[in-house]
Amino acid sequence: MGALSIRKVKKSYGDTHILKGIDLEIENGQFLILVGPSGCGKSTLLNMIAGLDDITSGEIYIADRLVNNLSPKDRDIAMVFQSYALYPNMTVRRNIAFGLEIRKVPKIEQDEIINRVAKTLQMEHLLDRKPAQLSGGQRQRVAMGRALARNPALFLFDEPLSNLDAKLRVEMRTEIKLLHQRLGTTIVYVTHDQIEAMTLGERIAVMKEGEVRQFGTPQQLYDLPSDLYVAGFIGSPSMNFIPCVLGEADGVGVVTLNNGKDQLISLGQISDIQRPFVGKPVILGIRPEQLTDPASAHSDHPNMQILTAMVTITEPTGPDTLVTVNINGVKTVARCHPRAAGVPGQSVQLSLDPTKALLFDPVSEKRLA
Amino acid sequence: MADSYRQTTQAKLARMGIYAMLFLLALWFLAPLYVMLTTSFKSLDDIRSGNLLSLPQSFSLDAWKTAWDSACTGVECGGMKSYFGNSLKMMIPAVLISTLLGSLNGYVLSMWRFKGSDAFFMALLIGTFLPFQVVILPMAQVLGMLGLENSTGRLVLVHVIYGLQFTTLFFRNYYVTVPSDLVKAARIDGAGFFLFFFKILLPISIPTIMVCLIWQTTQIWNDFLFGVVFSSGDGQPITVALNNLVNTSTGVKQYNVDMAAAIIAALPTLLVYIVGGKFFVRGLTAGAVKG
Repeated sequence: MGALSIRKVKKSYGDTHILKGIDLEIENGQFLILVGPSGCGKSTLLNMIAGLDDITSGEIYIADRLVNNLSPKDRDIAMVFQSYALYPNMTVRRNIAFGLEIRKVPKIEQDEIINRVAKTLQMEHLLDRKPAQLSGGQRQRVAMGRALARNPALFLFDEPLSNLDAKLRVEMRTEIKLLHQRLGTTIVYVTHDQIEAMTLGERIAVMKEGEVRQFGTPQQLYDLPSDLYVAGFIGSPSMNFIPCVLGEADGVGVVTLNNGKDQLISLGQISDIQRPFVGKPVILGIRPEQLTDPASAHSDHPNMQILTAMVTITEPTGPDTLVTVNINGVKTVARCHPRAAGVPGQSVQLSLDPTKALLFDPVSEKRLA
Repeated sequence: MADSYRQTTQAKLARMGIYAMLFLLALWFLAPLYVMLTTSFKSLDDIRSGNLLSLPQSFSLDAWKTAWDSACTGVECGGMKSYFGNSLKMMIPAVLISTLLGSLNGYVLSMWRFKGSDAFFMALLIGTFLPFQVVILPMAQVLGMLGLENSTGRLVLVHVIYGLQFTTLFFRNYYVTVPSDLVKAARIDGAGFFLFFFKILLPISIPTIMVCLIWQTTQIWNDFLFGVVFSSGDGQPITVALNNLVNTSTGVKQYNVDMAAAIIAALPTLLVYIVGGKFFVRGLTAGAVKG
């Protein structure tokens, strides 16, 4: 059964098109992340799922029920907001009970629900406080409690962690994930933070300018990004994009990387999609951890490629050091073992995993696979 | 050591200077009240023989009694009491209605914006700059067309209309600081337009409600121009009655009665400020600091 199905959904204000046809579908119990830079339409989409914004065209189904013309309260959803949106004049208990009262849930049942939710979120001691007497993390917890009380088909989270400080954010992130695993709820979660997206999501939709650029599991997005935008957005530090010209030798794709001198790198079997690009400029995408000192490289691959490059800057992060070198005229970051990082001005050997290297069309920006 | 010692004495002197200045200014501003109060407790002989600042030789409440129930305002000699009642009857509904409508207006203009709502708000803002005199003639025509005869009813309507732009402005400026997520959360909870307004928004607007009540009370109670133009005879508010009382010249000028009547007329607004002044300042700054 589909928990949420979004079909060809568009949103326009006159000639301004905010969403240009969104198609997404998730199953019961899945955790969907909508991620993208501000202004990409992710919050608008969430508001449209909630019924707080009109749909220009297309259809939205929640639990196999067309909800286009239903009011927010009839959609069987609950929402957690960035600003928590707790009613300041009511105690935590009343905040949770408010929606239940409107739905005419009997008083005894209300109390049961409130106690259950308070226990789940370990906030029994907060029930009689007003929101102003709570810390940021506690308010966040209450906001989640209010959503849980409803026991809806779908939970919507609108950047719920972005008002918290860094340490608390990581804690709450884990807590949300734990809650999801324990209760098996279906969640749509909006964020602009790619780390949050990767750690929480089971399905991630990367959005930009009103379109879904890629929809898949975190690992799919990381290993096989569909285009340059997704490749650059997911992962930190982000993927290196090295312009080069694709060549072919005995059915194997090769590129020339230059750091003082040309070095031929073979990438593996050339595919049918890649073949027309032979002799033409392409962009080689390689993640920093797949460009590392030979000792740290997973050398089980027989075709590990080695290149030499001169270090321009090193940035220690503790477990490993980010080494910046210059390849084909662009800054390229390699993730090396601290002892093998070298010093600026020194030449180091870097090994490149050709099975992980990706090729992109510089014009369409699509991955060539 | 010597330096710091000198500095503290200097600071102390400066502070004392400031307090002395403030004390003198307070005396200066309180002087008229002092004169009014003492004069109202004096007898007419006392007033004629003594000087303006002297204390009454014999303390008497006669002037207050006269002012309240037997002083002449024009041809009638029933004192201020019925006019005091008129003002109350006019002020209370006018203040409550304008405050309630203002909060509803502010709610719509900040959280349920519609096409042209900004233009509508601008038009209301211009209304706050219009002086009383400008609206008198058109207002008289409208009242004529409505055929509203009752003085109190006419004044309530006029004051509600004239006060609405101020109350709307106060509430709207407070409500734009309320996060819009709050409305969204309430809509998902199933609360409609009025349920959200009465259950959540009004309870958190108490500082702004206080500002509106105080502002409107003083405006409406102290108004003279609308009162004198749109009411007649025994339906006049107290400000008009006070004017008539002071200007009625039959026989000896009774300064003590004039003073007592003036204090009676000013008493409610004085009281409102003493009781609600704290809320007034708090409410005016409530919009400035979020939360």
